[in-house]
Amino acid sequence: MRFDVPIPPGAAERAHRVAMAAFAERRPTPKRRSYWRPAIVIAVVAALAGILASPPGRSVIRSIREAVGVENAKQELFSLPAPGRLLVESPRGPWIVTADGSRRLLGDYREASWSPFGRFVAGARSNELVALDPEGGVRWTIARPGVRAPRWGGLHDDTRVAYLARDGLHVVAGDGTGDRLLAPGKQGPFAWRPGALAELLVAAPGGLRLEDTDSGRVLWHVATAPAQRIAWSADGGRVFVVTPRGLRVYDPTGRLVIRDAGPVRDATFVGAGHRIAVLRPDGAVVLLGATKPIFRAAGLRRVVSAPDGRRLLLTWPAADQWVFVRVAAPHTLDAVSGIARQFGGGRFPDVSGWVK
Amino acid sequence: MAGPKGDERAWIRGAQAGNASDFEALFRAYWPSTYRAAYLVVHDAAAAEDIAQEAFLAAVRNLDRFDRRRPFGPWLHRIVVNRAIDWSRRRRLRGEVELHDAPVEQGDVGVGSDTVAAMQRLSPEHRAVIVLRHLLGYTPGQIAQLLDLPRGTVNSRLRRGLDELKEQL
Repeated sequence: MRFDVPIPPGAAERAHRVAMAAFAERRPTPKRRSYWRPAIVIAVVAALAGILASPPGRSVIRSIREAVGVENAKQELFSLPAPGRLLVESPRGPWIVTADGSRRLLGDYREASWSPFGRFVAGARSNELVALDPEGGVRWTIARPGVRAPRWGGLHDDTRVAYLARDGLHVVAGDGTGDRLLAPGKQGPFAWRPGALAELLVAAPGGLRLEDTDSGRVLWHVATAPAQRIAWSADGGRVFVVTPRGLRVYDPTGRLVIRDAGPVRDATFVGAGHRIAVLRPDGAVVLLGATKPIFRAAGLRRVVSAPDGRRLLLTWPAADQWVFVRVAAPHTLDAVSGIARQFGGGRFPDVSGWVK
Repeated sequence: MAGPKGDERAWIRGAQAGNASDFEALFRAYWPSTYRAAYLVVHDAAAAEDIAQEAFLAAVRNLDRFDRRRPFGPWLHRIVVNRAIDWSRRRRLRGEVELHDAPVEQGDVGVGSDTVAAMQRLSPEHRAVIVLRHLLGYTPGQIAQLLDLPRGTVNSRLRRGLDELKEQL
């Protein structure tokens, strides 16, 4: 009996990349100390030296290094592989990472997020909303019970900060004045529309509502399953909503543009455009509408786009790595290991945003 | 399939010690048969790719516990075939082909062979024993061990599966 089962192009390479990455992360179980150990060590060293010295051996090792970026993960984040600055949320607080790899801990804040043009950072600490400059200097604060999830939006000359407090969703001007309770009891996700001063998309019961927070006018409302995450494209021309039923993309008038019923762990707009990269629960990272995954590995948590859209940052807590993958083919990898240690140790850090 | 047994044992020993090139040799030797076995059971290229990949990840996780005196192939094929059967059963229970609005990669597999097409009409359990017997070359006794089945069950599944295939071809 003959089975004619062709293997899809690239399948072996994808599996190879993932398997070798998993192997590279594996720590062999320490063996019991053996009388023969020194002799074995010498033999292994000699064998490895032989392999390394031989042209085929060098070729094999070189091919592995070329094929498996993650195996060759750098031990330190020496630089970012794309321009811009990262905001990283660690147990010690938010860090700003610049393109040259330098890191600055802003202080003991949580849930930090960038202002629209990356000039400031909004953070929370116990019962306090704090506006910081990128050096960690406090610009203003406002005390409210149970502050969390601050998000900064607006234009170059005027901005707004929305945040959740124990009594609901608040909005305050970018200079810390005029704080008011916008939606009592509201606790779900929300996102400012870029390019507008005060248009906030809010997950409301049974749907989504785009509201002008200054005038109180509801610009549109659509019915959806409960939103878990909302994100606007950088130009405000698209917004996606992740729900338990998949991902939906709307234009600024609330018209449904794309509906993807596949499961989503995380998603991001790619650069300043409207393409969306989706991380599936099985670890596949795909561009919405494309057929082939860019990368696949079990245990990835987040996908974040570089501002220029050329790279995606995939956070991989199980491997304690960040993987930067090129969006266009070939999807080359740059990986950095020891991420938790580099951001103060403890829990694996989250990435809050990557701005120009 | 893998090369001589001596090579395979050396690869396993090296991989257990952390040698990436030895693990890669195992991967190169076994991935194609692993993928094909998964595909012939699930008849879904993307799922087969996932299942074959998961089988290798399981192999990596359990490498330290593997008895290097035993052959690697049956161990890996047991993992992949059982996962493929589980996947097929789950899909059957859901009564689906999952619907994604965005296209999901299917590849070019599944055409060009009457036998492969006919296999799709068998149950996953029948497919599995035929794959193990006729793609991977295991004896009915070995298949019984791999799948934790009585040998008589393996023989009857083989016979019925092949009879059905003959009818369809």
